[in-house]
Amino acid sequence: MTAARSGWALWGDRLLLAVTVLVAILWLLPVIWVVAMSLKPNAVLQQSTWGFIPMPFTLENYANLLQLATVPRWLVNSLIVAVGMTLLVLVVSSLAGYAFARLQFPFKRAIFVLMIAGLMIPEQAVFLPLHQMFASWGIHNTHAALMMPRVAVPIGVFLMMQFFRAVPRELEEAAELDHASRFTIFWRIMLPLSVPALTTLGLFTFIHAWNDFLWPLVSATDADMYTVTVGLASIQGNFAFTEGLGSVMASAVFASLPIVLLFLIFQRFIVAGVAMSAGK
Amino acid sequence: MTASPQARSVPLAEPRTRAPRHRVRRRDWLTALLFLAPFMAVYLVLLVYPLFLGIWISFRDWDLMGGDYGWVGTLNYQDLWTDRNFWAAARNTLWFVALTVPSMTLIALLLALAVHGPGRIRAICRSVFFLSSVFSVTVVTLVWAMVLSPDRGLIAPVVQFLGGTPVNFLGSPTWAMPAIVVTTLWWGVGLPMALFLAALGSIPKELYEAAELDHASRWSVFWRITLPSIRHTLILVVVLQIVGQFQIFGQPFLMTQGGPANSTRTLVQYIYETSFRDWLVGYGAAMAMVLFVLMMLFSMLQLWLGRQGDDR
Amino acid sequence: MHRSKALAALALTTALTTGGAAGAAEIQLMRFFGDCQNDYGSVNDASEANGECGIITALVNEFNATNQGGHTVTVQTAEWGAYYDLLTATFQTGNIPDVAVMHSSVMPDFVSRDLLTPLGPLFQEAGIDTADFVPAALQNASANDEVYALPFDLHALLFHINVDLMEQAGFVNEDGTVRLPTSPEEFIEMGKQFEEATGQNFIAVESQSAEGMMVRFFNSLVWQQGSTTLADDGTSANLNGPEALAAATFIKQIYDEGLADPGLDYPGAEQAFLNGQAGIIINGTWVVDSYNAQAEGGSVPLQNYVATNVPALMGEEAVWADSHMWVIPRDESRAPEEQEAAVAFLTFLNDNNFEWSRTGHLSVRQSVIDSPEFAALPHRANISNTSQIARAVPTTQNQRSIYNAIMSDFNAMWLTGAEPQAALDSAQSQVERILRRANRGG
Repeated sequence: MTAARSGWALWGDRLLLAVTVLVAILWLLPVIWVVAMSLKPNAVLQQSTWGFIPMPFTLENYANLLQLATVPRWLVNSLIVAVGMTLLVLVVSSLAGYAFARLQFPFKRAIFVLMIAGLMIPEQAVFLPLHQMFASWGIHNTHAALMMPRVAVPIGVFLMMQFFRAVPRELEEAAELDHASRFTIFWRIMLPLSVPALTTLGLFTFIHAWNDFLWPLVSATDADMYTVTVGLASIQGNFAFTEGLGSVMASAVFASLPIVLLFLIFQRFIVAGVAMSAGK
Repeated sequence: MTASPQARSVPLAEPRTRAPRHRVRRRDWLTALLFLAPFMAVYLVLLVYPLFLGIWISFRDWDLMGGDYGWVGTLNYQDLWTDRNFWAAARNTLWFVALTVPSMTLIALLLALAVHGPGRIRAICRSVFFLSSVFSVTVVTLVWAMVLSPDRGLIAPVVQFLGGTPVNFLGSPTWAMPAIVVTTLWWGVGLPMALFLAALGSIPKELYEAAELDHASRWSVFWRITLPSIRHTLILVVVLQIVGQFQIFGQPFLMTQGGPANSTRTLVQYIYETSFRDWLVGYGAAMAMVLFVLMMLFSMLQLWLGRQGDDR
Repeated sequence: MHRSKALAALALTTALTTGGAAGAAEIQLMRFFGDCQNDYGSVNDASEANGECGIITALVNEFNATNQGGHTVTVQTAEWGAYYDLLTATFQTGNIPDVAVMHSSVMPDFVSRDLLTPLGPLFQEAGIDTADFVPAALQNASANDEVYALPFDLHALLFHINVDLMEQAGFVNEDGTVRLPTSPEEFIEMGKQFEEATGQNFIAVESQSAEGMMVRFFNSLVWQQGSTTLADDGTSANLNGPEALAAATFIKQIYDEGLADPGLDYPGAEQAFLNGQAGIIINGTWVVDSYNAQAEGGSVPLQNYVATNVPALMGEEAVWADSHMWVIPRDESRAPEEQEAAVAFLTFLNDNNFEWSRTGHLSVRQSVIDSPEFAALPHRANISNTSQIARAVPTTQNQRSIYNAIMSDFNAMWLTGAEPQAALDSAQSQVERILRRANRGG
């Protein structure tokens, strides 16, 4: 596409780009609007919600938010659950992925098929029995209960397996000759190599965990154990929408900050990771 | 000697590793067990076992609070036949999937084509389109419920300015579902777009250069080169979307609570309500099984259609 | 903010001064009524609060500040729509509240599964006189000859009226009372006249699918005809009989004639009424105090406000009613001092029943009803006999799903143009299925 081209094509390109930028601005508009509302006094919002510039400006909504201490508490819960779940998924998936990629064992194919079949099981098919199981174990309203159901993700194993398979064998064989144990090889050679894959899997797991809704909704019923997602849902109905609009918007913005920051820092890994998981 | 495909790629190594292999094999066996154990344990206990437990529960009168009232055979499944709300929920879910999957795929592809390529502006646009998918469903629905609001929203003033009367989107049985679809598009287009971007990036440059020599139009380049090259990604996106969108819950649950007049109640919401509001877990489990089978059928159909194309 | 600092200081002092007292306990209260911590978080005197949310918040604060046992009540609020799901979930997830609010219509679900603490002996011990409860309230709170709840109010559906608009339409009698329709035909006729004269909607009512206000109106109309939607023993439904059809047809007509805006949700309907855009809002007793305060405060276009009973449109007077009650959910792991604290809190609530009745709810205590303070509350003269005409849905399990099933079929009449008979047939088949489940042998 870099060769010389006619003026028409060039203008076409520019027009396309301009339209794209316009769409991107429109795309972002709701977010800007919400941020603006979160910075306006509630009394002003009761009159009118229009406008993208927070005039008159106030930080009171955010101050109230921190005062209430519930939203920060939910943030901490979400962080614990998302980080915990991410770490567990990475450990479990990379270990199993390595086994499928490099180790020989009986019934390997059968076990692999069994695992892949798990891709077909949606969350909704198991959340009721899971809820009953966790209730009988008495572990609802704990961080562990919020993490565990999402730890066994076949797609994670699949991803790691694909990655490990692509690593040249020679790298391991030198170590094998030194009689290094499998785990040493895995730990010393394979894992350091797989940082990009782990980052991708980790990011997607994190985003998924952060945004999970149905499971925390039924498992975390103690307001102290709410994740941000469920907590926000609870105050949307609770705050009188007309009176506390600014506060509701502030809590939404506040709750989204960590994940947005994470995204901005790691965004190039996301696209790169998608390329990898597309499995070409 | 070995059946595993990856071994074939390193023939040079074979002579050296052949000698100690018998010894290594046995150890591998045990090592593999240790490597697999954590995953398999969680997988079996928290995914496979619950699946079968769910099937079992679906044949019982299982009460959320009162416990197990015993075996009822296929009563739960029979009740589904006459349950209008269930059929409405199934219809709504299919309608939502039918609206969302094609438009999501198309928009994701268009956006990917638009932001694919070099340059800072495109990179920023890429980020913008992806950004909305990191928000949680609660935030997304909050934002869009506001945007769509007839008296305090973003769309209403524009409509008024153009001389129209604002529509109460979420209060209208006709418009509520499309409004939820739009919300979902805004939220979810990032991932399929990224998948398309990855696919576009891996098309060999030579193909385009050849086309340019032929003075092929953009249009024909797209149809002759781009589209065939990303066919697999296209199928992947459609399958992922079908599986994902069948599970829709949060958007209608938070934006319309299934209303107005049942027009947006989806299967997952009905499962949730049946189990946690009406305490009929057995009945809910039966619905979950139906949803499970539906999703499987649709994604298998899609995969099969994709393979048909391969044979040609 | 200084407010909550003051509150923290107060809590600390309470803890210091009473912390040593034997049996001081911290108990969990779970309720709906909304969250108004911002406005009433530091109000310790219930008589200074207004509205359901304000009064209950202040009552809890007052209890925490003044109770002799040094007990502390911490509150978890849930949105109306999600409340019972959440309360139910606590039995599974293990954070069962010590006190919870409950509608009498919902209580059978919990009693039949033995999930509530019987309160009879505890009341006796605490000196709560169950004989002071009006009979309907005591009946609501009882099952199998045992009391399971502290009744807090009876709440019924009312017509809330903008008198100025009614006057403009010529519907105010010479003695100043508002003329209300006495039949569906007159209702529609008056509605048309009203809209012609004022240019506003005759009726404002929640018409989306969240609250089901029109289901309550529908039930009232069926009762007015001497029929019921559910058999008294709760085993069969009669949703597609001639009485139900007459009521449903009338309700659909209200929308078809343009007398009410089908697009209004609950806040929207309130907004319309307070803004002077509707003559009558059909809503419960719970808003009397709030509407009255706003009309008197002059902050809204509504100025001349009156609350009345739902008129007898289809026969005898009858109106839908339910009851807010307080229960102590059963929890084997609850410490004795926590149960004691819970009972102390219930006693306190019962003692302050008058404060709650200021919301507009009907008091459940005969001594409060007979008191001069109660009679002096605004608008109470018009609705003094409401508890006599109030009717409650029969005691059966799964009332919430029955209600929701009727609601979604019902709303289709004005939202998607469904015919009344079709909507009722659909509701009938849904409710029959639910009742079959509710009346299972187990």
